Amino acid sequence: MSEIKLTDEFLIEELKLRFEEKKESLKKLEKLTTELKEVNHKLAESEALKSHFISNITNEIVNPFTSIVILSKNILSIKEGQWERVMKMANLIFTEAFNLDFQLKNIFAAAEIEAGELFLEVSNVTVDTLINAVIDSFITEAKKKRIVFEFIKIETETEELRFKTDSEKLRLILSNLVENAVKYSKNEKIIIKRKVQDGVLTISVQDFGIGISENNKKVIFDRFKRLDTGINSINRGHGLGLSINKALLDFLSGQIDIESTKNVGSTFTINIPEAVSDAESFSADGSDYIFDTDDEIF
Amino acid sequence: MEKPKHFLYPGAIYVSHEPSMITTILGSCIAVCLYDSVLQIGGMNHFMLPLWNGQGLASPRYGNIAIDKLIRKLESLGSSKANIKAKVFGGGEIIATNINQFMIGDRNIRIAKDLLHEEGIPIVSSSVGGKLGRKIIFNTQTGEVRQKYVGGQK
Repeated sequence: MSEIKLTDEFLIEELKLRFEEKKESLKKLEKLTTELKEVNHKLAESEALKSHFISNITNEIVNPFTSIVILSKNILSIKEGQWERVMKMANLIFTEAFNLDFQLKNIFAAAEIEAGELFLEVSNVTVDTLINAVIDSFITEAKKKRIVFEFIKIETETEELRFKTDSEKLRLILSNLVENAVKYSKNEKIIIKRKVQDGVLTISVQDFGIGISENNKKVIFDRFKRLDTGINSINRGHGLGLSINKALLDFLSGQIDIESTKNVGSTFTINIPEAVSDAESFSADGSDYIFDTDDEIF
Repeated sequence: MEKPKHFLYPGAIYVSHEPSMITTILGSCIAVCLYDSVLQIGGMNHFMLPLWNGQGLASPRYGNIAIDKLIRKLESLGSSKANIKAKVFGGGEIIATNINQFMIGDRNIRIAKDLLHEEGIPIVSSSVGGKLGRKIIFNTQTGEVRQKYVGGQK
């Protein structure tokens, strides 16, 4: 009798357990479905943004070119002794050409990344020179908005701080950060800090601009994503910069972090570990290609 | 004659007309080697995660993109899909530091097998799973892949 009772209890326990398990897997399924929906939404959005990008190309590329052509034609027809007008127009040409060059570099970088044609070109980079060069390239644009740059070098005794990494990739990453900082601030300063510690290069770019809301922090690395896409947006660009930065940093085994408060400003910080140069890690030791007898062959 | 050597980085793809030796190092990542025995050309990808989720750039860090791009690149060099055969490597469950990376090797293996099957490309040999990393060298002229196990990394 007692034995049967025990079996009943056991059965009930077992049933309960199974129900629990079922509930658990239902919950998991629900979670997966939600995730799937999210991904689906993202993909649809990405597709829409992509077509938007193509339709935007006219504004972003053809129009600047047209201005450059017209402006240079005007310069050619200017009479002697009108240097001021020439300077003005040359300035406009420079701005248009600079933006165009910058945007094309980003578009090509994105194309390269998406085609899987990235490779690492490590050199011994003079970090401060590179940072200064990037700052210099944005100085005209910054002056227009009365923005000043402040470059702070943390904990290094000499000018000649050298760091092994891919200089072109680092330059593009930095340019994108500085460009955003200039774009989203007015009449303020931009603070750039750099340091190297334990083989990791850290560079931060801080602006006192419009800032980014919590929600938007999640999407700013998506391609073609721009937060101010309204018709009144005064800012140009493809929204490629940060997605390129993320991809390039992934490639360099680096990281990017954002600290930002709406209407206060944003700080973007990148960390890059020092690269072992190509030569050391790979091609120099020919033994990579000398097959051992214990290699498996497929 | 010595063939040009190419080291394939994660997230990259290499396909060339020229006979070459492509090498890469794999942990939970997967490398798909495709070989066209008629044209005697081949190419390799190296992906880290199974599926692109719409975040960031649609790069070949993701299996679904890497496999599709690799096939298209071979086709653009004149290969016909019927002549392409695949060899699949990697997907080890080496100790993951990040909890999100859990089972990533298995999921990578699955996506490679599924997608190649969908494309109708046979997998003629493979070395996947396990607890160790792998170093492979792919001779794109002969289709031969040599593999060495390495202490778990990446």
